[in-house]
Amino acid sequence: MTQNPFEEFQSFQYRKTSFPLDRIVHTAEAVMDRIRLGYEKLLEEEAKELVWMVQYNTIIKAYEVAEKYIKEIDYSAEDIEDFCFALENTQRIPYLIPGPAGIYISALCNDAREEEIVLKLSELKTEINLIGFRLPKGKRLMVEGDTGDFTGIGIEGGELVVEGNSKNWTGAGMRSGKICVKKNIGLHTGEWMMGGEIHVGGRVRGLGNIVDGKVYEREKLVYPGKARYPNVYY
Amino acid sequence: MFDGKVRVVEKNGYQKQVMSIYRFINDRLYYNRPDIEIKGEPYNSTILFSLLTGLTGGKELIIGEPGLGKTTSAEFVCSLMYQFPLGVIWGSEVSGHPEQTEEKIIGRPDLGKLNRGEEDVVWTNFSQVPVKIVDEINRLPETKQSMILDGVDRGNWEYLNEMIINDEYCLFATANYQDGGTNTIIAPLVDRFDVIVESRYPGANLSFIIGKNRGKNHILRHPKYEKDLYRVLKSKVAYEKKIPKMEEICNAFGEHVRETAGVKPLKREDRDRIRAEMEGLDLDLDASAFTRMILSELSFCERYGQKRIVENCEEGCHYTGYLCRQIRNCASNRLPTSIKSFARGLAWFLGDSGIDIEHVTSVMPYTLSHRIQWKDEVLSQKERAKRDDPFQIFLAKEAVKAVLQRYREQSDHLKDALALGSKIFQGAPLEPPEGDHPIYAEIRKDIRYRMNHGERLGDADDPEPV
Repeated sequence: MTQNPFEEFQSFQYRKTSFPLDRIVHTAEAVMDRIRLGYEKLLEEEAKELVWMVQYNTIIKAYEVAEKYIKEIDYSAEDIEDFCFALENTQRIPYLIPGPAGIYISALCNDAREEEIVLKLSELKTEINLIGFRLPKGKRLMVEGDTGDFTGIGIEGGELVVEGNSKNWTGAGMRSGKICVKKNIGLHTGEWMMGGEIHVGGRVRGLGNIVDGKVYEREKLVYPGKARYPNVYY
Repeated sequence: MFDGKVRVVEKNGYQKQVMSIYRFINDRLYYNRPDIEIKGEPYNSTILFSLLTGLTGGKELIIGEPGLGKTTSAEFVCSLMYQFPLGVIWGSEVSGHPEQTEEKIIGRPDLGKLNRGEEDVVWTNFSQVPVKIVDEINRLPETKQSMILDGVDRGNWEYLNEMIINDEYCLFATANYQDGGTNTIIAPLVDRFDVIVESRYPGANLSFIIGKNRGKNHILRHPKYEKDLYRVLKSKVAYEKKIPKMEEICNAFGEHVRETAGVKPLKREDRDRIRAEMEGLDLDLDASAFTRMILSELSFCERYGQKRIVENCEEGCHYTGYLCRQIRNCASNRLPTSIKSFARGLAWFLGDSGIDIEHVTSVMPYTLSHRIQWKDEVLSQKERAKRDDPFQIFLAKEAVKAVLQRYREQSDHLKDALALGSKIFQGAPLEPPEGDHPIYAEIRKDIRYRMNHGERLGDADDPEPV
């Protein structure tokens, strides 16, 4: 018989235990699997050719599909953060398409039980579009890093804070609520916005056709105002 | 914080005798402050570990600035633990210098006999006495350090075709910090030392008293017994026959010390009995599990199978939070032997009935610090940290503290995993234990090996493959 290297523990009363950490990891992995599956389903249904055109009806439809899968998952804000990280950093998620990814993340944030959510996107090389879509009243979404096009479109009373830059069509069609972009913002800002406020810490490259609402550039009101006109590039 | 006084718990039997030796050295011979606290009692690490080295027959490397009592502390301990007068100890010391030779360290040809055509060896005092002190070992050139490897390790001293074997010996070596005349101690020699301690500056006030109290060496000197011992050592009888004669003189010297100084040195039979008592002490499960845990961190590499000094950690390794990431080399098999031996000695000294985790954690930094080769980034990160200990010992203490923290978080799970390992090893159809620490991976490796090959290895009736 080979020497038993654990012999002195022979009489130790063994009981099957598991680390709380292990349990947490297992649970988190199970949740992440389901979130990932929902995203894959969304891609299957809405981006069959891995091409996704941003049109009003495609956004609405994609959001409905995302909501359908998300409803079945019990997740937390941390899981959304993990999903964002996993989008670029694991092999398990095959494609990062900025549009559907943004719709899906927005749906996750809107449906999360937490009122305040922080998304760390600064590590991502790809800028996600459509972050903050339909952010409802009472929710606060803080994004560390930059966001892509259509950030905060159709916000429904929530507060979106972007620590970095935001690209074109930010706040388009928003009805109420607040968007704060700490650095610069792109063209068509606030296109067809019906209400709410957009605050920009840096420069606004161009305003869109704004119906109602307010846009501030470095704490100075630029819409409504005399100096700035729709679609004028600065 | 220590209050500067040494409070020692008196125990019955030999513990009391050894404690009185500790106290005698601390009060009258080697003035220094306590710098280590074990089970609520402060001790001076240099004296404590030197005593344990003498008791366990170990090997100790004493480092420190010049003139801070490295050699003298070892001499006092050797004299009182082995009943040798200081004069003999001085005459048996080997001093490290570039011109040192094998003939001065181990033995030389008997020139008289050689003239008659006979080959015989005259053994040095160093190779014959059980207490061996190598002064300034790092002044020995690296090529000459190899000469004492085997003797240091096994007590075998070989010259020409003859050999003497010390059945009882302990070794103390001193080393100054690097200066113009020092060399690096080669890794195989460093690894042979069980512990490393620093003989520290005692502070301005004690240092001032040391200057006043010259002549303390006389307490442990006796010219007549020294001459007698030299006569025996020089005599041309077989080494085995010299030993009882030396012991006889040593006993007489021990009696003289008891009468004049009031402290009773240890006789050979005392030491044998103490060692027999020590043998009866085993590590408890926590001490064993914790030791296994730290050993796994000091040897584990998921990618390359084990730590090797020639291989570097991979970026993005899962095990970045453990010691394996911070060190370059792999723990040797001598490390657990040193830990167990000194923890056992300490447990015995404190009169405890077994070796617990505090004994192990107390000795561990002193057994680890000279054996670990830290990565440069770790050294540069921590070199300016506020500390009381020499850098290597400080790093080892920090490492032990960190692993102890990890152990406390998962001690039950780890003991369960080891118990489960034992059951699977015995053939129980159970699932291997899970866990994130390297030790679990090591347990799984052992079990997997057993599952794949164990039955074949263990079954003597297995038919030979055709």
